[in-house]
Amino acid sequence: MRLRARLVIATVGVTVPMVVLLMWLDGRARHRAAAYALSEGTLRRLQNPDERARCEAAPATWGRPRRPFAAAGSTAGDGPGPDGTVRDRRPGGHRPPMPFPIGAPPVNYAYDEQLISVNPAAPRLAMADDVRTLEVGAVHVVPRAWYGDDVDVVVRTPWGSGPCAFVLTHGTTTPGFIGALLPASPIWLLPLAAVLIAILIAVGPVVARIRRLTVAVNRSAAHGFADAIPAEGTDEVAELARAFDAAGREVRAQLATKDQREQTLRDFLANTTHDVMIPLTVLQSHLATLREAHAAGAAPDPLVLTAAMAEAHYIGALLHNLAVAAKLDAGEPGMLKSPVDLNALVARVVSRHAPIARQRAIALEHAVPEHPLTAQADVTMLEQAVSNVVYNAIRHNRTGGHVALILEPQADERFRVRVIDDGPGIPPQQLERVAQRGQRGDAARSRAPDGQGLGLDIAHRVARLHGHQLTFAASEFGGLQVDLEGPTASETDPGPDADRDPDPVPAGNPSPPS
Amino acid sequence: MPDRILLIEDDQELGAQIVDNLRKAGFDPTWWRAGRHIEPQQLPGLALVILDLMLPTTYGMDILKELRASGAEVPVLVLSARNDTADKVRALKLGADDYMTKPFWPEELIERVRARMRRPTLQRGDALEVGKLRLDLATRGTHVDGAVVELTRVEFDLLSALARRPGVAVTRGWLVEHVLDPDREGNERTLDVHVSRLRKKLGVAVKVETVWGIGYRLGTEAA
Ligand SMILES: Nc1ncnc2c1ncn2[C@@H]1O[C@H](COP(=O)(O)OP(=O)(O)OP(=O)(O)O)[C@@H](O)[C@H]1O
Ligand SMILES: [Mg+2]
Repeated sequence: MRLRARLVIATVGVTVPMVVLLMWLDGRARHRAAAYALSEGTLRRLQNPDERARCEAAPATWGRPRRPFAAAGSTAGDGPGPDGTVRDRRPGGHRPPMPFPIGAPPVNYAYDEQLISVNPAAPRLAMADDVRTLEVGAVHVVPRAWYGDDVDVVVRTPWGSGPCAFVLTHGTTTPGFIGALLPASPIWLLPLAAVLIAILIAVGPVVARIRRLTVAVNRSAAHGFADAIPAEGTDEVAELARAFDAAGREVRAQLATKDQREQTLRDFLANTTHDVMIPLTVLQSHLATLREAHAAGAAPDPLVLTAAMAEAHYIGALLHNLAVAAKLDAGEPGMLKSPVDLNALVARVVSRHAPIARQRAIALEHAVPEHPLTAQADVTMLEQAVSNVVYNAIRHNRTGGHVALILEPQADERFRVRVIDDGPGIPPQQLERVAQRGQRGDAARSRAPDGQGLGLDIAHRVARLHGHQLTFAASEFGGLQVDLEGPTASETDPGPDADRDPDPVPAGNPSPPS
Repeated sequence: MPDRILLIEDDQELGAQIVDNLRKAGFDPTWWRAGRHIEPQQLPGLALVILDLMLPTTYGMDILKELRASGAEVPVLVLSARNDTADKVRALKLGADDYMTKPFWPEELIERVRARMRRPTLQRGDALEVGKLRLDLATRGTHVDGAVVELTRVEFDLLSALARRPGVAVTRGWLVEHVLDPDREGNERTLDVHVSRLRKKLGVAVKVETVWGIGYRLGTEAA
């Protein structure tokens, strides 16, 4: 339902019963007033001793109006009609006609003690019992409908006997437009109209503003909520407009975030492609060199072969890093924690890089505790973090160098993964910068040897996401020492690794059961 | 007799290479180019299953689940191209013993296969045997090539600690803490002295190797 129709219905629904109630109260009040006036008038008239004589002399005709009423526009009629009322029948016509119908003067009818009237015009009294028990000089008001203009009162005359023992006085309420129903003038319509007009005045602009707001919201929505929604004023409509504006801003912000994310993804894809293309090109070049050597009948250059393998290995590591970076960008939700067998993890990392280390004559050693350590972690992320540190130790090492990866339990249910090498290491002034990696959101990826790599950035971010500590120091062998520390998972923690394998040898760990 | 290995891998090129590498490494591979369930009668004599998770016909996980549901305990090494944690966790839950993510070097695969099939050290009752070395834990007697070798308490403890995990590096720190006499202020220096004495007593038949950055390991070459 439209707002206007709703308002009109509500207004009518409230005012009509109110008008009816008011008219009812008004009608009753006028009836009461008229009954009082009639009874007073009649009683005063009967005080006059002559009246008794006059009445008893001619009870059939006594009681006609003696003189025209000056008040209330009443005027003399030529007697009551058959129904006991006298309507406006001015026979004389010597008065100017009134602009609206008027009532009649009161008419009296005399009744004897048996409530029988000799006056042929007298109405029959129905409520005989009520009347007969009337005290001398008491008044009985004949009940009438409140909307009629007739008023009848029965009075017991002061003497209370004879043909004029009772007197019925018939009159009307103040004459009006339609009898007693409505006030004398249509002035009552005024407040009603005023209320309606007031409502329209108050509501009209509101409706118009709501319409304008609708248009503004639609327009804004059509432009992806790019336009602001104007909110003038301080009322509820303005509040609504402001709420729409705020909602629009929120939508705008979310759209912007989404666009940003899409852009990041596009950049990521572009960068990834770029990142992979370079080592791939290097690899192709190595392979071409080998092919040429073969064509020339020469033995393949082992250095080129090693370089080609290293490049292929690098591409693999890079792709794993990019995948983990994508998950890290998703934050917590990208992570899936489960109990991770750290011994097995170390074994996997070592076996992943062992072939490349062997190629470069780098000894890659590892040690794990006899009892496997377990930590709550995303196994892919943690493995990649450790793998990056180990791979660095191999890649940034010299031929014939050493790398050791040691997993050890620490006090307070913690583990430590330590990677040490005897390569060139990182000078102290740069160490701090390397240790601060991962604090920046965007990882600038390049293979330039200036500490801007992806590897440590991922190691840092994984450690932070897991609440692990990643620390860098100079190793006692001249190279770098990287420690990753974190809490171990409790033994009772039933993980996916639990009760699955009757074979007690941990993955990749050749140690016998203890 | 070479160990029988079942390879379930749908990629022709990769499958052929893995089969080739396994054969060169002395295994007896059987290659299934499509995923299908492993029947119980195919299990006897099978030392390992290498299962690719991304098989087109039957999802690798289903093969694994089916296999474990039938009660088979053959070790399963899962290969997955998707380096996805959920896949790994699920595979381990379903009873895989280990997994490898692509890409991998042939050497890496062979090493992992060997690691899965490595038998625990022979330990009969109170005796430890590694190659030519035999340790009697109850009597604390040491034999190399059948000959008795007299070892001190610390030397015996050191050797047995290494022999419990042959081929595995044990850190200096652990050895100092668990083998040396705490009353006599053992440190890594003392440990090295004990090791060099031990090496002299054992001769060339049993090798106590120094592991760079870590500690010592009992060589298994002679084994
Ligand atoms: N063990 C190490 N010895 C010497 N320098 C190292 C070592 N580890 C890291 N660095 C230095 O820190 C830098 C950052 O390492 P990071 O792993 O983040 O990048 P990267 O190895 O260059 O590239 P990538 O993204 O491929 O890993 C390296 O470029 C290297 O200069
Ligand atoms: Mg790196």
